[in-house]
Amino acid sequence: MINQKKLDRVLKKVERPARYIGMEENSVTKDLEKVKVKFAFSFPDIYDVGMSHLGLHILYNLINEEENLLCERVFAPWTDMEAEMRHEDLPLFTLESKEEVKNFDFLGFTLQYEMSYTNILNILDLSKIPLLSKDRTDEYPFVIAGGPCAYNPEPIADFIDFFVIGEGEEVTLEILKLYKEHKEGQWDREEFLKSVAQIQGVYVPKFYDVIYNEDGTIKERISLIEGIPSTIDKRMIKDLDSMFSPEKMIVPFIETVHDRVSMEIFRGCTHGCRFCQAGMIYRPIREKSVDKIVELADKLVKNTGYENISLSSLSSCDYSELYILITKLMEKFEEKKVGVSLPSLRLDSFSIDILKEIEKVRKSGLTFAPEAGSQRLRDVINKGITEEDLINTVNYVFKEGWSTIKLYFMVGLPTETDEDVMGIKDLAYKVKDMFFDLPKDERKGNLKVTASASCFVPKPFTPFQWVGQESMDEFYRKIYLVKNSIKDNKVTFNYHDPKLSYLEAIIARGDRRISKLILRAWEKGCKFDGWSEYFKYDTWIETLKELNIDGDFYALRNRSLEENLPWDFINPGVSKDYLMREYKRSLEEQTTPDCRQQCRGCGIKGCTMTGGGDN
Amino acid sequence: MILRVTFNKKNYLRYIGHLDLMRVFHRSFNRADIPIKYSEGFNPHPKFSIAHPLSLGIESEEEYMDVDLEYIPAEEFVEKMNSVLPRDIQIIKAVYLEKEESIASLIAWAFYEINFDISEDRTKEEAEDIINTWLSKEEIMITKLKKKGKKKIERQENIKNLIGNLILKEINDNNIIIETLLKSGDNGNLKPINLMEALNRDTTLNIDMDSIAIKRLGLYAEKDKNIYKPL
Repeated sequence: MINQKKLDRVLKKVERPARYIGMEENSVTKDLEKVKVKFAFSFPDIYDVGMSHLGLHILYNLINEEENLLCERVFAPWTDMEAEMRHEDLPLFTLESKEEVKNFDFLGFTLQYEMSYTNILNILDLSKIPLLSKDRTDEYPFVIAGGPCAYNPEPIADFIDFFVIGEGEEVTLEILKLYKEHKEGQWDREEFLKSVAQIQGVYVPKFYDVIYNEDGTIKERISLIEGIPSTIDKRMIKDLDSMFSPEKMIVPFIETVHDRVSMEIFRGCTHGCRFCQAGMIYRPIREKSVDKIVELADKLVKNTGYENISLSSLSSCDYSELYILITKLMEKFEEKKVGVSLPSLRLDSFSIDILKEIEKVRKSGLTFAPEAGSQRLRDVINKGITEEDLINTVNYVFKEGWSTIKLYFMVGLPTETDEDVMGIKDLAYKVKDMFFDLPKDERKGNLKVTASASCFVPKPFTPFQWVGQESMDEFYRKIYLVKNSIKDNKVTFNYHDPKLSYLEAIIARGDRRISKLILRAWEKGCKFDGWSEYFKYDTWIETLKELNIDGDFYALRNRSLEENLPWDFINPGVSKDYLMREYKRSLEEQTTPDCRQQCRGCGIKGCTMTGGGDN
Repeated sequence: MILRVTFNKKNYLRYIGHLDLMRVFHRSFNRADIPIKYSEGFNPHPKFSIAHPLSLGIESEEEYMDVDLEYIPAEEFVEKMNSVLPRDIQIIKAVYLEKEESIASLIAWAFYEINFDISEDRTKEEAEDIINTWLSKEEIMITKLKKKGKKKIERQENIKNLIGNLILKEINDNNIIIETLLKSGDNGNLKPINLMEALNRDTTLNIDMDSIAIKRLGLYAEKDKNIYKPL
């Protein structure tokens, strides 16, 4: 245990000290001496963000259910806390036992966002663990990582001992149990790594090397030792009903981003939007049964005391028995004043009855994501919704009394013209006009339309993985085109910082050489890059120059379909051939139907959608 | 019916603020299935109030709360709540009120134990002497910051009458424990940390201000110059 007196001195001086104390309802404390394997789970951002991540609650309970294993949490301390800790020379500790992270067997990161990578280095440094995996000897934990960004592990390959690709429920236990066996036998760090590399989904970067062409692209990847897999197949849970699902959730003392019960209702998505990485890597679609969800919801509400349940998935309105599910949940919880919410709504499958049902009590704002301003561009990205969908829905919700509407867009999508961009303004104005076209006595509330534009970042394992990102000048030009055209105080236009998106694009499609960039940027003080008040764009650019790395090579360059991509050795289930076909269709403005209507043979095994299987 | 409840808040849980504490209770009522009453309106809230919220970082042996609920035996309330509350927040006692008198308006005094380090060894007599000399001054001034809109205004206040008593309880090496009764409520209020700042400024004790640990031992009501526990 760390020095408690020091901790007390520190806690008195920082904002929201409850971020660092643990002790929440449903957190687990075990005797550190008695367990065989100690796992520290880390979300590389502050507590308030990390505690809202559903995966944490799943893995935390999964590991702690096992008698011999233990999982404790550690987050990035906010900058005030970091300063006090460095001043007092207090090492980073887990919330449960207040034990130094260094004394655990594993430190596992979940990678949700590329711009949190410098926080990983900061966490390692505060824990006094060597930043580079090659410098870690037996006395240090294995630093491992999983989550969506692990599908391109290469940019942080220097820091992570091994990655886990895909869904973690089964593979995490396999790894920890293998570790326990090795610990009880003749321990050898290298031998353990060799044998863990045999587990499906595990990638140990140090066993591979990359040879580059003169133009900087990848010539080939080679295995450095015998008998390790040349492709890494992702892990996937077959049946969600029989899979481990937590019946408890830690209830934070402070208000976090999602302060409620989170219920996962299905995994995967059938829409096939061409920009969306999650829609590809989480295939195939798998649903939990209504009965299982209701049973779990009941237990979670009882065990947490929460007054809200949110049904989470990539596109909750697609759940095949949504109406039955909502009816059953409302029946059960209405009297207890427990609310139910659906956070990710799409315009197309938007069900009027359901919305009416769940918004009986509170009418919050509504958010829609048309993503692109014109129908042509929505076809390019295969968003699969029409303006008619939007108009019908918005008309309805205005009549039902909603008056706050948010619209999400991206700028810089492939093939985008100025006309498409101006479609953002047109759509926002159309929504506004629809409100004022209603007879005066039918309008309720005070209209507020917010259009937000983020800058498109091409991601690995999407049909757009070969596409060069738009230049920053173009981003700014397009953003100002829209911004300057909006002259109505009912319509607000927000946009994301193109500078941040440029760096995101570099790292998201980076190769092994990007590790040096991240390390050097951290050394120069970069952390919490996703937080606009801490993002140091100039430092990043200076670091690129210093290391002679061409950012445009990664962010702006169009790749040929023949190029070896840094993440090609990962098999996400969806075939590269399918991604190519989808890319070509996008350029022809051809849409691809939802998997539920017609299977297009994405290559995923074990899919139950129409015509699935051997396609 | 109104149930008056005393509870404590100890160890690391002193680092959760008042609003967070309200949330802990709300969710604990839910988990314990307490038939709590809700406010009417758009966003119904459970009806309970905590008297004289603790500042962040202060432990307490005795806090007060009034809860509006459908009748359940007080013992059952205590038992059910304690099984779902964190171990460092526990209910000590609960009694139904015969006449309604809001707890917040009753509180007039708070009794604190304050533990701190000083930079050099002192005997008990020396330390007592320093403190008593300080207490016998005609005026003990503190500077209070008052917000008026966006402007912050400094205001001098004499706290002498806000100090009920102050005794040195223990002294060990460089560590001192004092107990003090301070005005607390609508008719005068003194925060223990302000008392310590003044003590450090005016005397030669040389207090390590980062070492100060404060614990509230009790809250008291006052009637006709007598102070008493509101439960």
